[in-house]
Amino acid sequence: MKNKSWSLMAMLLAVLLVLAACSDSDDSTKEEGSSTPKGEEEAGSNDASLSLSVENEGDAVEGGVLQVALVKDEPFQGIFSWELYDDGYDSELMDWATNVIFETDGEFRITDEGIASLEVDEENLKATVKIREGVKWSDGEPLKIEDLILPYEIIADPDYEGVRYDGDFQNIVGAEEFHAGTAETISGLKKVDETTLEISFKKLSPAVFYGGDGLWSYAAPSHLMADIPVADLLAHDLVRKNPVTLGAFKFDKVVPGESVQFVANEHYWKGKPKLDGVLVKVVPPSSISVAMKEGKYDLAQYFNATQWQEIKDLDNIDILGRQELYYSYLSFKLGKYDTANKTVVSDFENSKMGDVELRKAMGYALNIEEVSEVYYNGLRERANSMIPPVFKSFFDDSLEGYTYDEAKAIEILDAAGYKDVDGDGMREDKNGQPLEIKLAAMSGDQTQEDIISYYLQNWKDVGLNVVLTTGRLIDFNSFYDKVRADDPEIDVFMGAWGTGTNPSPFATYSGTSANNLGRYTTEELETILNNIDSPEAMDSAYRSEQFRAYQEYMEENAVVIPMQFRYELFPVNKRVKNYNVDYETETELHEIELVAEEPIAGN
Amino acid sequence: MWKTIVRRFLIMIPQLFVLSLIIFMMAKFMPGDPFTGMITPETDPTRIEELREKHGLNDPWYEQYIRWIGNAAQGDFGMSYTFKRDVGALIGERAVNTFWLSLVSVIILYAIAIPLGVLAGRYHNSWLDRLIILYSFVSYAIPTFILALLFLFFFGYTLGWFPTSGSVDIKYDPGTFGYVMSKIYHMLLPAITYAVLATTTVIQYLRSEIIDAKTQDYVRTARSKGIPMKKVYSRHIFRNSLLPIAAFLGFTITGLLGGSIFIETIFGYPGMGQLFISSITSRDYSVITALVMLYGFLALLGSLLSDIIMSIVDPRIRIE
Repeated sequence: MKNKSWSLMAMLLAVLLVLAACSDSDDSTKEEGSSTPKGEEEAGSNDASLSLSVENEGDAVEGGVLQVALVKDEPFQGIFSWELYDDGYDSELMDWATNVIFETDGEFRITDEGIASLEVDEENLKATVKIREGVKWSDGEPLKIEDLILPYEIIADPDYEGVRYDGDFQNIVGAEEFHAGTAETISGLKKVDETTLEISFKKLSPAVFYGGDGLWSYAAPSHLMADIPVADLLAHDLVRKNPVTLGAFKFDKVVPGESVQFVANEHYWKGKPKLDGVLVKVVPPSSISVAMKEGKYDLAQYFNATQWQEIKDLDNIDILGRQELYYSYLSFKLGKYDTANKTVVSDFENSKMGDVELRKAMGYALNIEEVSEVYYNGLRERANSMIPPVFKSFFDDSLEGYTYDEAKAIEILDAAGYKDVDGDGMREDKNGQPLEIKLAAMSGDQTQEDIISYYLQNWKDVGLNVVLTTGRLIDFNSFYDKVRADDPEIDVFMGAWGTGTNPSPFATYSGTSANNLGRYTTEELETILNNIDSPEAMDSAYRSEQFRAYQEYMEENAVVIPMQFRYELFPVNKRVKNYNVDYETETELHEIELVAEEPIAGN
Repeated sequence: MWKTIVRRFLIMIPQLFVLSLIIFMMAKFMPGDPFTGMITPETDPTRIEELREKHGLNDPWYEQYIRWIGNAAQGDFGMSYTFKRDVGALIGERAVNTFWLSLVSVIILYAIAIPLGVLAGRYHNSWLDRLIILYSFVSYAIPTFILALLFLFFFGYTLGWFPTSGSVDIKYDPGTFGYVMSKIYHMLLPAITYAVLATTTVIQYLRSEIIDAKTQDYVRTARSKGIPMKKVYSRHIFRNSLLPIAAFLGFTITGLLGGSIFIETIFGYPGMGQLFISSITSRDYSVITALVMLYGFLALLGSLLSDIIMSIVDPRIRIE
């Protein structure tokens, strides 16, 4: 008897434990990749204290190795070539040993401070790139003009498989001929003398000052790479193991997918770095907070801002933060993309969201302020337009955007004739027909679901019946598949763009771009977009004016509702003497110093 | 027996062929493709389209399949879209990591589980038995990622006994003694975690077999002949009780290449489990298909190995 009850107990216990284990691991799969703190608990506490730079007291030690954590839950790809890489993590690694020839100011405009300077001759559609004398590669070879030409030839090569051989790149005179194999060289690239390269373009816009229009901002070591066929480059040691570079540090050792060791580059043109080296290791997001606390690393890159709660009270680190080049938005399907003619065809008459008043009301109804505060601890904030604040000359804080105003949303809907005819609490459309708006939203971490439900409630509060396309959140891949295919099941959708360093909105809102996902185009908008990138816009006052006009137009017509800007965080150990993430005054890598032999552990 | 083995291998060919057809179709039915994730406002959709065309992703799936199976038959599984490397080399590199980690795990697993199972069976219903049972239930119930995190935080960070991420310290050069030691050192903590979690089955099988065997006639005979209990256990009972474990050995061997997504992710250890998951999320078709084919082959091989092992350890079983 005793035995029996024991085994019964054991079985019950086992069943219970198994059930518990199951439900736990279910949660874990949802959580994979981004563990999210419970935002609700800390509502109200803000990031206002995030600073852009840190200076730690103490005498610098001689040399030392900076320990860097690259927060990532899988191995890095390890394509260390600016021409060939795809993944942002690879570029983060390459930045320590960069091959960049131009330096840029706080708004990413090319300056004369770098290895090369840029002069643009708008009349003749030419740019002249002049390199400093005495700049050397990390192997001691001098930098030559051929090193500036080689990247163009790699990208335009018929065997090149990357995304960079695009419309922009074909703007270089002769690039297409070279790609087609009908020309031996790219005719638009002319070596004037040992330090000067002249580049001819088909057209020029202000984008050229930001490294756009096809201008390439990196050099490649032609003394080593010129004879390697482009098809073989991807697998070559010069790309995978020991690239030769121009930056403050040079590649010393690579453990594929795991870690990279850099050592000081004695040939660095700004002078030998004060550090002996930098060691970058991949650290999974699940343990990065503990690792920072225990003083394993000096610096964490790609730290997930949703984990801010876990590190905010640590006494051995400073948390720096800066605005990302990013905005999220609510967009409306207002037409189709005609793939054959490569044009956006808007149809306001027959689109459910064709009425600008309805679109505005949807914008005013969203309480994004609350979501930013509660779920993101203020590490995101309501966006007032599609220009992230980093672009100081174009960002305009006097623009209101769609600040939360429930009463106003109700008023607009009432005035526009969206009335609740059948008395079910939901508004019908202007003709008294039921109005059901289908929202496509991407799945993400756990809070994403809560946030979307909250937004749906916001709309319900003003009487709009918004439901999810497919009934649930959609995975990233299917989401963009559906949005790009103009799926009729989508009336509105929530997406996000990383803007890159060129703030021009042409690629995302022009009447010819497949990336114009809302399919909104009008002559007036097209004119403004063209003005922004026109030759006249080389004059920055004029360009700013056009940017302002663009933002006003987008707001007045509620083409898209800008939702959020977000911050990126950089936890920095107190051992680091000086670190600055401001785009304008970013730390020079060779000047970083340490004040202790080992990273400082927290209490 | 040899005949059977050859026949089993021959049967594998159509089995793998059907598997390849199914997996290829399913992979293509997933929304998105390797280029979906690359789109930013700065990428040119025309260029993306060109690349799709160049890689034949716009062709009907059966054309792509025929092209793929043609190459695969010659051992060429193509290039990984994400890693831009030969799939064979990529999988090979990860497989080596996973293989050694799993091997160490399995050794530790048996080192823990066999003594515990034997003790629990021998002294069953004692407090020792109950303690072992409790341990095996708890270890069975704890989700992998929780135990992995606990071990990592405690042994890795708090006590600092073990490295906390990666598979090797960068300061050693491949081929040196330090490099090998560093590799083993990096494997220990994840391997122990895995082993602790996987002990339940072995303990339970062993325990119940031993309890069963104790009442068997041959044990009574042995005892009545005056053989000391110690010897009865080591010579008679133990061997017979290992049978069910031997039955799984084939799968255990081929399973060495499976990898564990949780353990690899938490310990930042580049292995097969992670590669599989990330290839699915990034729609890296060539890697997905190659991996599923490999897993399929290993599963078939595992069942064959198990049969062979059984026929060796248990003379009553014959492969016909």
